[in-house]
Amino acid sequence: MNDQNPTVSALTVASLLVDTEPYLSCDDCFERMDQYVERRLADRHHDDLEMTTHLAGCGVCAEEADALEALLREDAQ
Amino acid sequence: MTTVERADSGVDTPTDDDTAWWTHLGQDDPAGHAAMASLHELLLRASRYQVWRLRDLLPGADAAQVDDLAQQAADDALVAVLRKLPTFEGRSRFTTWAFKFGILHAGVAVRSQAWRHREVPLPDTFPLVDPAPSPAAVSEAAQLSRAVHDAIATQLTPHQRRVVLALLVEDVPIDVLADRLGSSRNALYKALHDARQRLRQALIASGDLDAPSTRRTP
Ligand SMILES: [Zn+2]
Repeated sequence: MNDQNPTVSALTVASLLVDTEPYLSCDDCFERMDQYVERRLADRHHDDLEMTTHLAGCGVCAEEADALEALLREDAQ
Repeated sequence: MTTVERADSGVDTPTDDDTAWWTHLGQDDPAGHAAMASLHELLLRASRYQVWRLRDLLPGADAAQVDDLAQQAADDALVAVLRKLPTFEGRSRFTTWAFKFGILHAGVAVRSQAWRHREVPLPDTFPLVDPAPSPAAVSEAAQLSRAVHDAIATQLTPHQRRVVLALLVEDVPIDVLADRLGSSRNALYKALHDARQRLRQALIASGDLDAPSTRRTP
């Protein structure tokens, strides 16, 4: 930890308090990610509560979903 | 090698391309070998895309090293895809399904490389929030931060505390932390989920956090 500046941002406090119910594991998120991203691309209003909740609380899975979506967008051009 | 049986999901109809992948992958003939080479190309495309997307995490690496990482990730992804092939149910296009393995393995490789020589911090106390400019915001943010600080100290198990602080305060990627702790991404995310629930319950009980409004239905 950085002893020179032992403070955290309000954003970090908020990240600690994210409501990640309903629970979805990282493996199950990965399992569904391809279908979820395709459906989001076809309909930007498409929602899957368990997926959006997991992605709001898991930075690495969210980054992977973003990367997959960006790659598919690039592919479609 | 044997041809893989396609699981009957009854979901989306596979495209002609998907059927071609499905028919040839795993066959020990020229068409099978060509399908395997195409699959590796596909995975390399995804791993390169992701490695370059995360390029800033590797400031010391040159282009050749970055590309080596993409190649290695594509090789790892190929093994994973072939192992998981019997579980492909056609819920997405085959290429989308395969891409996600390339992206996963590339991300893991980049983060692992980026943290290779870094110590993973495992703090067990939570620092207080940085004061904001306006007095009202200061007191509100400081009060919430103090409540979170206390709840982390009193409501979490030592393991939950270490996981939460490493992931969310020190920004250690979850796969890097799993590797260092000899754990898994799933296990750490579950610890994080349980810890957040405990923190939320404590702060709702103390009046520092509003109880959730009715959640949307799926
Ligand atoms: Zn996750």
